[in-house]
Amino acid sequence: MKLRSVKYLTGEGIKNIWANRLMSIASVGVLVACMVLIGLAILISLNVNKAMGTLEQQNVIMAYFNDLNSVLYGNASDSYVPETSSDATSSDEDADESSSSNKSSSNKSSSNKSSSGKSSSDSDEVKKPTDIPDDAYLIHNEKEALALCKKLEKLDNVLSVEYISSEKGLESIKEGLLDGKDQYFTFLDGEYGNPLSGAAKITLKDMGKFKETLKAIQNVKGVDSVQSQSDLADTINAIKNGIGIAGVWIIAILLIISLVIVSNTIRVTMYNRKLEISIMKAVGATNSFIRLPFVIEGIAIGVISAAVSMGILYFCYRVAIEAIREALGMMEIIGFSSVALPIFGVFIAIGALSGIVGSVIMISKYLKKEGSEFTAI
Amino acid sequence: MSKTYKTGTHALNDVNIRINPGEFVFVVGASGAGKSTFMKLIVREEKANTGSLIVNGFDLMKIKNKEVPHLRRTMGIVFQDFRLIPTMSVFDNVAFAMHVVGADRRRIRRDVSAVLSMVGLGNKARSMPSQLSGGEQQRVGLARALVNRPTLIIADEPTGNVDPNLSYEIVSKLTEINKQGTTVLMVTHDHNLVRDFQHRVIMLEEGRIVADNAAGGGNI
Ligand SMILES: Nc1ncnc2c1ncn2[C@@H]1O[C@H](COP(=O)(O)OP(=O)(O)OP(=O)(O)O)[C@@H](O)[C@H]1O
Ligand SMILES: [Mg+2]
Repeated sequence: MKLRSVKYLTGEGIKNIWANRLMSIASVGVLVACMVLIGLAILISLNVNKAMGTLEQQNVIMAYFNDLNSVLYGNASDSYVPETSSDATSSDEDADESSSSNKSSSNKSSSNKSSSGKSSSDSDEVKKPTDIPDDAYLIHNEKEALALCKKLEKLDNVLSVEYISSEKGLESIKEGLLDGKDQYFTFLDGEYGNPLSGAAKITLKDMGKFKETLKAIQNVKGVDSVQSQSDLADTINAIKNGIGIAGVWIIAILLIISLVIVSNTIRVTMYNRKLEISIMKAVGATNSFIRLPFVIEGIAIGVISAAVSMGILYFCYRVAIEAIREALGMMEIIGFSSVALPIFGVFIAIGALSGIVGSVIMISKYLKKEGSEFTAI
Repeated sequence: MSKTYKTGTHALNDVNIRINPGEFVFVVGASGAGKSTFMKLIVREEKANTGSLIVNGFDLMKIKNKEVPHLRRTMGIVFQDFRLIPTMSVFDNVAFAMHVVGADRRRIRRDVSAVLSMVGLGNKARSMPSQLSGGEQQRVGLARALVNRPTLIIADEPTGNVDPNLSYEIVSKLTEINKQGTTVLMVTHDHNLVRDFQHRVIMLEEGRIVADNAAGGGNI
């Protein structure tokens, strides 16, 4: 098609909107309503997802190591210390006898290490001293603990692993729970020593695979017990899925409404223009020539609606943010400007798509008609 | 060729005719004889069921839908009911036919003015169709059919809606155009026109050609 034809037809399409202005305004109104609702649905789901993300970050798995403390203070499940059970009982006795401090217990563990190192395999120690052998059930020192952390990091779906030594664990408990009342808990530093096991703080990539990952972590040798809030993970997953499904449905339904509205407007224009269409056909206009003004009309309605919707959405979002801040206090909310462009893109796509599809569906009905059939419509 | 509508009406039966370039042909016959059907087959508004039909070099039995616009650009169609767009001026109504075929503005201005003066409406270019008489409106229709310089004019009862004096005007114009080489095919019920303008006459009756008088005249 020639450029001047396209220009001419674009003008005709815009004229159609004006000639049919009441209908055009009505359909822009409905389209705007649909788009604003779609925009709000997107913004709400983005914000909920973000909130869920923050919650997820806090939903960590604590994997406690099967180290000396866990043996001493009875955390260890028997099956995890089969090979070193004799060592464990002996060290248990040692601990009872000498009422060991932190230092002595670490001494103990280092002596334990040398014995278990011998018992497991010499070649392993020669090759990679920092590595722990696969069958090492007991973690003796920080080196081994860090090696175990490395091992955990390599598991599927694990995002990060942070090593929490028993000392660090104690610190955080004191900070978090005791809040300056540590004079009551001096015994922890004193004769009985720090009872905590070393641990790894693990965050996951995908909360959907929470249960599987938990199991995998549990099965790693050297891990004694695992602590997590799996119900929280379940809730987060349920909310995310729910929001996703609801969002898809809302958008699908509103898209269909938009399509119907635009097609109907185009249908009315076409009805008003049936005389012109019949003449165009009679003087030899191609189908694409006849179609173009209507497609342009549809697209223009869509784009105008998209622009108006953006303004309204911005206003609505600001009001909503104010209200939420008032009700719930400060909250992390996604800024409008950071998502404005993609949302505008979605609006333009919705508008243009319903314009194109609506006009093509409608015009195909008319293009089949010939001469006198138009006057019979 | 033959045409049977979906309703089962045999509108045309074994019509066999040749119309040469440059001819002026009146198509006459009683109501329901199949005159309009004959014209519709030529402009490809309807398809013939059997036989063959060749118009301006296009084989209408084989033509693709995409080629139909090109067929129609070789002909100008005049309607009984004028079919002028009421919201457009006389000038724009004629120019519309040129926009459709992608003509540029300068040519449109030049050719529309020329064709309007030719049909005697040079001074009415800015009028709206509703401000014109029936005869004038049909001359606008004629100008629109002519503006793209077709080789064939198809007119189904172009004088059906104008008063008898004005009918003469219109057929005179068509005759003038015919003299310049354009083939004209016109359906009419008006015996006076057929008698007074000496052109070839084809008479249809119940879908068949019952007379084909190359000399024309009033003996029908
Ligand atoms: N679209 C159609 N569908 C079914 N039958 C039709 C159609 N158009 C015409 N007919 C029938 O075909 C026959 C011929 O009709 P046509 O319109 O060709 O007659 P005509 O000679 O033009 O008549 P008139 O002088 O009244 O205009 C008639 O019996 C008519 O009822
Ligand atoms: Mg007829």
